[in-house]
Amino acid sequence: MSANPETGAVRNAWMLVATREIVVRALNKGFLVGLLVTVVFVAGIIAFTSYMGNRTESFDVAVVAGDESAATALEAAADGRGGVPSDDKVELTVVRVADAEAARAALVDESADAWLSSGTPEDAGWTLSGWREPDGTLVSLLGTSVRDQVLAARAAGAGTSMSALTEGSEVATERLDGNPVDPQVVFLAGFVLAFLFFMGAVGSGSMIAGSVIEEKQSRLVEIIATAVPLRQLLAGKIIGSSVIALGQNVVLAAVGLVGLSFTDLSAVLPSMTASMLWFVAFFTVGFVAVAALYAVAGSLASRTEDLQYTTSPLMMLLMGVYIVTFAADGTLERVLSYVPPASIVSMPVRVLAGDAAWWEPLLSLAILLVATVGAVLLGERAYRGALMQTGGRVTWRSAMAAERGTTLGA
Amino acid sequence: MSDLEVRDLTRVFASGGTSRRAVDGISFTAASGLLTGFVGGNGAGKTTTMRMIMGVLAITEGEVLFDGAPVTRADRRQFGYMPEERGLYPKQPVLDQLVYLARLRGVAAGAARREVLEHLDRLGLADRGKEHVEKLSLGNQQRVQIVAALMGQPKALVLDEPFSGLDPAAVDAMGDLLREHTRRGVPVLFSSHQLDLVERLCERLVILGGGTVLAGGTPDELRSQGTLRHRLVLSGDAGFVRAVPGVRAVDVDGPSALLELDDDAAAARLLSAALERGSVHEFSPVRPTLAQIYREVTA
Repeated sequence: MSANPETGAVRNAWMLVATREIVVRALNKGFLVGLLVTVVFVAGIIAFTSYMGNRTESFDVAVVAGDESAATALEAAADGRGGVPSDDKVELTVVRVADAEAARAALVDESADAWLSSGTPEDAGWTLSGWREPDGTLVSLLGTSVRDQVLAARAAGAGTSMSALTEGSEVATERLDGNPVDPQVVFLAGFVLAFLFFMGAVGSGSMIAGSVIEEKQSRLVEIIATAVPLRQLLAGKIIGSSVIALGQNVVLAAVGLVGLSFTDLSAVLPSMTASMLWFVAFFTVGFVAVAALYAVAGSLASRTEDLQYTTSPLMMLLMGVYIVTFAADGTLERVLSYVPPASIVSMPVRVLAGDAAWWEPLLSLAILLVATVGAVLLGERAYRGALMQTGGRVTWRSAMAAERGTTLGA
Repeated sequence: MSDLEVRDLTRVFASGGTSRRAVDGISFTAASGLLTGFVGGNGAGKTTTMRMIMGVLAITEGEVLFDGAPVTRADRRQFGYMPEERGLYPKQPVLDQLVYLARLRGVAAGAARREVLEHLDRLGLADRGKEHVEKLSLGNQQRVQIVAALMGQPKALVLDEPFSGLDPAAVDAMGDLLREHTRRGVPVLFSSHQLDLVERLCERLVILGGGTVLAGGTPDELRSQGTLRHRLVLSGDAGFVRAVPGVRAVDVDGPSALLELDDDAAAARLLSAALERGSVHEFSPVRPTLAQIYREVTA
């Protein structure tokens, strides 16, 4: 590494600083465990959702000997015959029992999940009994089956047929925007992106604040500042923690996308991937601003204990973004997709929903970029002003007003 | 020969409506090739002065000169500095962070590693390089901190309380290390309130009090400014000396007394009075200690 002949300072000192930040953090057990837990959590959610969506539910339904109507309805439902929509995720097994007494006993000892009875005209009629309230899926399946059976019988009595009666009554759906992504998926993606943003920003932000106060509290910064311009120190810290934050989000996004490819949602992966890429781009730019502000929060403290206080305004801002963006809709979302830092989440979600024109993310990204440059300039000034002030917390105002006349300056 | 010189240095701390002159127009020189001890009580302005020399604190008035010219950022980058508070990175291995700090000062990676290992070896920490700083005893943390200041052949050393918390063996090792740097012609300025240690190590002394320089010079020069005392040891009780005109008893303990004499006539009066009462075992001048000088100038 060569030295600048004029100032004697190491060129690219920021690279040394950034490398240290990355290495120290990547070797930090707490960070690794946290990341692992999050990865397992994300993979777990996807696996669970997919399992719930794909699992085959099986029911044993009892029917009393001689109750032929019930037996027929059950078999129709089991086979997917007689107009009952075939659902291969539900498996019905007919359990024949001798009488009502035996049916109740079967429910009690759990050899049957439910008991279907056609009843008699005098009592309540068709009844589906269970030890507890029968499962909703089973109720709707058997309900349809029984209704069709009864309707078919009545139709035959009236000299017509079921198919004649229901002909032309199906409603088809059509979507004009050409986007294959389900609005529910968009909502879910909004939630996930807001979560990733919040996790990455607060997690890595707190780390940069911690690393700043660690140096300030120990006066290490005084040693470093005599060797390296503070601007380079700050740049190294921001870049180092941005790389970590981004790496963390890329890992999580990759786990999410790979996980999705194994589920029914694999069809929407292309649009999801585009949205994720936008998110990564927005996050990369936006996190630099977040990191700069967290560095200031770190420099305003004078001991580690002060951090909670000095970082709370930022925490509130990020929390606000988290809550507002995943709940936002319509015009509010449209506005938020241009307002940093909310745009980091809102614009990629709009891209996924397919209601953003091609130039919109670019414009929003440009706005974010300008805001980031502003935040970094402001942050750099406050950071340098606060860093050498010891004894008690420093306010933003006194940090900005502090003499940077010390030769350490830039 | 590059001296480190402080000229009329002043620092005013303003908070609210009040302002405090922590350092008030002090001037002194830490000459190249010499160990200069910076002595003073708490709040005397030692740390504030050192921070101004290093540029981590803005100077209100006055200037710092290095090699006869106002100190530049480039100069300071080659100063070894040890701040008042200790810490380093608690959760990073000793070797890694020392190499990091050396590399920030422009030492190449391989050379930095060699230099760090050599210094650790000198201070008896050769086998602790892989340990986290927080796992070391306070004395050992102090040694690591010292190594951090000595990396990269500094052109000057500014060390705030480098000896605090060190055992006598470490003090000697540290003293030897500092001498190696003065032999290179480097000025070394260090603060301490262990006066015996300063007296033993330093070629020059600056005594600070209330933000001003109270006294300065070589230990001998300072001693010669101090009041000369005499010790008197008799065969009998020495209590009578209090009554001799021109003699002030600093301390009387049975047959021996520590005295300050106005002039030679007073000495003659004292001795003849003593011989009237018995024999005189000892009558000798006492070289003032630095502790005594310090008490006198800061009184």
